Amino acid sequence: MRTAGEGRRVEADELLVLVATGDQKAFEDLYGMVSGAVFGLVRRVVRDVAQSEEVSQEVLIEVWRTAGRFDPSRGSALSWILTLAHRRAVDRVRSARAATERDLRVGQREHSPAFDHVVEEVEAGLERQWVRRCLDRLTDLQRQSVTLAYYDGYTYREVAERLSLPLGTVKTRMRDGLTRLRECLGGAA
Amino acid sequence: MTIRDHLWPGGDPHSLAAPYALDALDAQERARFERHLERCADCVAEVRALSEDAVRLAWSTAAPPPPMLRDRVMAAVRVTPQEGSLPAQEARWEYGGAPEHARAPERARAERPQQRRPREPRFRWLLMPLATTTAAAALVVASLFAVQANQAREDLRAERAQAAQIAQVLAAPDARATGNRDAQGRGLGVVASKSEGRAVVTPSGLGALSGGRVHQLWLMRPHMQPRSLGLFRTGTPLLASGLDADATSLAVTVEPNGGSPQPTSAPVVQLALVSVGFGA
Repeated sequence: MRTAGEGRRVEADELLVLVATGDQKAFEDLYGMVSGAVFGLVRRVVRDVAQSEEVSQEVLIEVWRTAGRFDPSRGSALSWILTLAHRRAVDRVRSARAATERDLRVGQREHSPAFDHVVEEVEAGLERQWVRRCLDRLTDLQRQSVTLAYYDGYTYREVAERLSLPLGTVKTRMRDGLTRLRECLGGAA
Repeated sequence: MTIRDHLWPGGDPHSLAAPYALDALDAQERARFERHLERCADCVAEVRALSEDAVRLAWSTAAPPPPMLRDRVMAAVRVTPQEGSLPAQEARWEYGGAPEHARAPERARAERPQQRRPREPRFRWLLMPLATTTAAAALVVASLFAVQANQAREDLRAERAQAAQIAQVLAAPDARATGNRDAQGRGLGVVASKSEGRAVVTPSGLGALSGGRVHQLWLMRPHMQPRSLGLFRTGTPLLASGLDADATSLAVTVEPNGGSPQPTSAPVVQLALVSVGFGA
């Protein structure tokens, strides 16, 4: 797993640097490498498939447009791209929420049927299992704080409200949760 | 209440590193924290580490994207110039050669468009439409423009509306792209949808005209007079609608102020539409 992951990352880094020079072929290769990660993450946050497609399209075009901002010394291309994708997905879900005042209850996700089970299962790979296992090792509050923010796009203030916790506690749980994830997943990086 | 509490009602800014890494700050707090990051080297290191941790959460979410997404993205990429591309880079975009010079490291930090704009007025529109394919994105972009004091409200509204229309063309299932450029760097880039009869036409290298003259875009059809599709504003894309399925090409001519009912000069650039599905 380490070898495969490393290989993909190094290659993506090199491709993104080429993309910054205007290399469309490199972008096409990069697309093949990261589009599944981008689309899957966006869909996880945005949920609506059509909107997820729209956001993914925006993100991937933005990768092309702003590739010159990528600095390999600051992190991997995959991280850079997924960070961008996550930001855009969260922005979308928040503006949608603001528009409809939709109010999802904590935990509803776990009880509602998954949007697309078939795809999920096809994709269920080693990495997916690993992340789930590591999430299971967090305390409930750490896990909820982290996942409500990352997968559902809530602000830490909203998370605090939902979990009826003080703001400071939520910030600490988020930090501790991420740090524990690092320890658990570190070997897989 | 201390000054710090007043400035940071959410508490010590350092404690926001984890929420920031998870994108769990609202827009206002995010902007404030980013300003804080500029002065806090420790925070930068911490945010970077925590962001890498957060990205691990994305490992478990990968899913195959719809096949159409690839075509749309590649079509858009073909006509979307890159941020900060200079004329030299523009040439590379076409010829696909190796970079002539490494990008300055500052570029990564020079993310505020208003810093770049005065130097590259011709590329002002790069920050706008083609890459922003939804009304929501148009709002985000519009808010970028809003910080520029000299940007007239009317222009903003028009650009926002145009971005939304362009998004529609890009989102059409049959949207396809083509483009060209001559030895002088003049050309057109097009994303067109035959089913919608619409196209986004982006001029490049046409330059500014003197004496109030304008660049006018024409639709060419077999055995018919050219039909005007509108006038280009310097460097901005034009949204052409009502395109006939049998249209064979687009042409640009130089016309007197206000444009002409029919072309009065030979085209400066021309682009065939067959590769985007027209003329068949």
